[in-house]
Amino acid sequence: MSKNTRILTVDDSASMRALLNHALSTNGFEVSQADDGVSALEWLAVNEVDVVITDINMPRLDGFGLIEQVRGGTRHRDRPILVLTTESSDEKKARARAAGATGWIVKPFDTEKLVAAVRRVAH
Amino acid sequence: MSPEEIQQIFFVECEESLAAAEAGLAACRAGTQDADTVNGVFRAVHSIKGGAGAFGYGALQAYTHTFETLLSDVREGLVEIAPPLIDLLLRALDTLADHVEAAREGGDAPDDAGLIAEMEGAMAANAGNAPQSAAPAPSPVEEPVQVDAQAAAASDDEEDLEIDLDALLDDLTADFDAPGSPAEAPQGESWQLHLRPRAGAMRNGNEPLLMLRDVAELGGTCLHCDVGQVPQLDSFDVAQGYLGWTFAIPDTVSEERVRDIFDFIGDDCAIAVGADERIPDVELDAAATPTAAPSPAVAASNGNSQPQEAGAPAPEEARPLQSVETSAPVGADANTPPTGGKPAAAAGAQPASQGAGQSIRIDLYKLDRLIDLVGELVIAQAMLVQRLDGVHVNASEELSLLESLTRDIQESAMSIRAQPIASVFSRVPRILRDLATSTGKHVRLEVHGESTELDKTVIERLGEPLTHLIRNAVDHGIEKAEDRIAAGKSPEGTLTLAAEHRSGRIVISIADDGAGINRKVVLAKAIEKGIVGPDAQLSAEEIDNLIFAPGFSTAAQISNISGRGVGMDVVRQNVKDLGGRITIESTPGKGTAFILTMPLTLAISDGMIVNVGDQTMVVPLAHVVESLRPGEGDVKGLGSQRQMLNVRGQFIPVITLGRELGAACNATTPEEGVLIVVDTESAGQAALLVDDIQDQRQFVIKSLATNFRPVEGVAGATILGDGRVALIVDVDGLVACALPSHERQAA
Repeated sequence: MSKNTRILTVDDSASMRALLNHALSTNGFEVSQADDGVSALEWLAVNEVDVVITDINMPRLDGFGLIEQVRGGTRHRDRPILVLTTESSDEKKARARAAGATGWIVKPFDTEKLVAAVRRVAH
Repeated sequence: MSPEEIQQIFFVECEESLAAAEAGLAACRAGTQDADTVNGVFRAVHSIKGGAGAFGYGALQAYTHTFETLLSDVREGLVEIAPPLIDLLLRALDTLADHVEAAREGGDAPDDAGLIAEMEGAMAANAGNAPQSAAPAPSPVEEPVQVDAQAAAASDDEEDLEIDLDALLDDLTADFDAPGSPAEAPQGESWQLHLRPRAGAMRNGNEPLLMLRDVAELGGTCLHCDVGQVPQLDSFDVAQGYLGWTFAIPDTVSEERVRDIFDFIGDDCAIAVGADERIPDVELDAAATPTAAPSPAVAASNGNSQPQEAGAPAPEEARPLQSVETSAPVGADANTPPTGGKPAAAAGAQPASQGAGQSIRIDLYKLDRLIDLVGELVIAQAMLVQRLDGVHVNASEELSLLESLTRDIQESAMSIRAQPIASVFSRVPRILRDLATSTGKHVRLEVHGESTELDKTVIERLGEPLTHLIRNAVDHGIEKAEDRIAAGKSPEGTLTLAAEHRSGRIVISIADDGAGINRKVVLAKAIEKGIVGPDAQLSAEEIDNLIFAPGFSTAAQISNISGRGVGMDVVRQNVKDLGGRITIESTPGKGTAFILTMPLTLAISDGMIVNVGDQTMVVPLAHVVESLRPGEGDVKGLGSQRQMLNVRGQFIPVITLGRELGAACNATTPEEGVLIVVDTESAGQAALLVDDIQDQRQFVIKSLATNFRPVEGVAGATILGDGRVALIVDVDGLVACALPSHERQAA
């Protein structure tokens, strides 16, 4: 890939954002951050992105809501969206899939798996 | 950002989460048990769990897991919210706070076995209560309906088809067909994987090609690509999965590993394994074929005279429909409000979080440097005004603009350091719960003005005295339930915490509705301890203040609650160190209120500028009660050394400021100068004799100890408008030093 993959990380926890940022930017990704679904949508309205990584439980607009909004819009509807989740139950997966998630990353993540997951979905 | 710094952020977050959970549970207890509140508590605990896992705090993670599971059950309505449960959750939260503390300090994790058992018990007890709504996740069967509309609409939109699909298709199949001849198995043992992605795979932002690439990376070889379902170009829908593949995978690669690649894509990619199997047939979504009956939405647009234009927006219309559907409360999430289609409504729901989202963290050192510089700016501006006074231009518009800008900058800089007092108040419920356990006194908490802001340092250092005052109020102020009932009060005591901004200072009151201070007992004890003479005539207020006297509150603080080796004199000292004052208002039978008057900031203070001989000095306004020019007979001699000022019938000692500080005082008798009546913490009131009062203004405190050396009776120095240095009088130290203890007013 000639240019860096641009990633938007969405999490209401500043430490989780910092961890993601650290893990991704040291692997050559260009990382932006939003602290919930609403600010992610605001960011997405004016920025380009290659992959979105989002937490589920967030105030204002949660991860599922964010994915549905993105899929329902025009601008980023085909973008891969990875879900960060602490649980990997089939029910949660089905819910995330139904919402339109592309893949998921289990928290706590290890950097290698995170990077592999992002590479797998980055078009 | 280093991992350590990220860890620090995590602990700051933990504090925020704990406070949020505490507030949420308090709201639950008060009767607000809606989904938002419960979800807020869940999210707070969930967030701590996430971080605990990420940073490797095993004990914290394990504990939060149980806590979170219980909260999840509560959120889903599996466990009923009743007062005993809320109590359990509050206790669980206290232990969570201890866990966080242990993780931060590297100490031993608290013993949580009992609580975990209780929480598990609460979940088990309600296990049979699963409501109807706890059904499994939405059935994917309903989805194709929406996809139909979209797919059909998309195929109507011929503009999408202006690319060379044949070439693209060739590329795609060539990638896998080209190497070697088809159906040629790789060297060595292998097994076969057959797969066919469905339309949904691409709709979710997946790119099957990338997955195939992953399979190839694992050593998979494409044996066959099924292109049989590829339609005619004019009915080609880019979102459909027309292709299927068969791969040969080396035996060294487990099926599990390969399935992992397709894990998340789930039902959207049909997979079969084994040489006897074949590429699964996947029914193309009916609407994808041009012969399919158009869905209602498309039918409507087709009826339009401009089908192409009308057809194009259809996918957009279909989309929200889908999002509303999938985000509607399903199964376990019945209590979660459907946020999907309503970002605006959701945004309004929790405006509080918005502030947090737009904040940045900065090094406190940088901030303090800024505030220092602003202080210098204020002084420079004052100097400029004073200098220009001489050349008669001080009335110019530019100068007043500069002055008002300087003031605005100062206020803004100060407000950066300001934080809401809620961070201190939020710890109180836990203190009260602990006290309820140890004293058996249940106290209701009322909080007013928790958004009142004051300096960060003041807030941080206010915690300890405040905690002590609250313990004191519950321990000594509020009566036992039976005594309260006998006195005709409700058995539950009430503690009211209030903070407000009043004329440039913050007034914090800690009021209980207890029995009030028993002045007889206090006076008797003070006499017994030798704090006051046996025949002392004291006003009610003076008796109340005796509890702040050093040495008063030791033996009588029999309980181990407030008597933690800290007396009320230390509380007063702490408050005083912060530039504040503490007073008592007590009514027998009605209760006692401790009133703390704190400065907004530590860096800038209000003072009275006075002249003493050729010196200019500053008396901090916090101490000043009044100033007066004594008339004939107001000052009486007491022996040869001491003069006493008669203030409305009360005699207070006169201290000649110049003499104490070694400056020549022009006014040799009180009648020639001005007396400033000051209040001190340890020596009652006194009157300071100065030549005259120059002004009253804000000043920036410069430490004498760091720039010179500590001087008794001097609290620091400041730079005046004309550039001269003025000493700030340490009123407490000076009066205590000037008056032998037997001469002090209270003694």
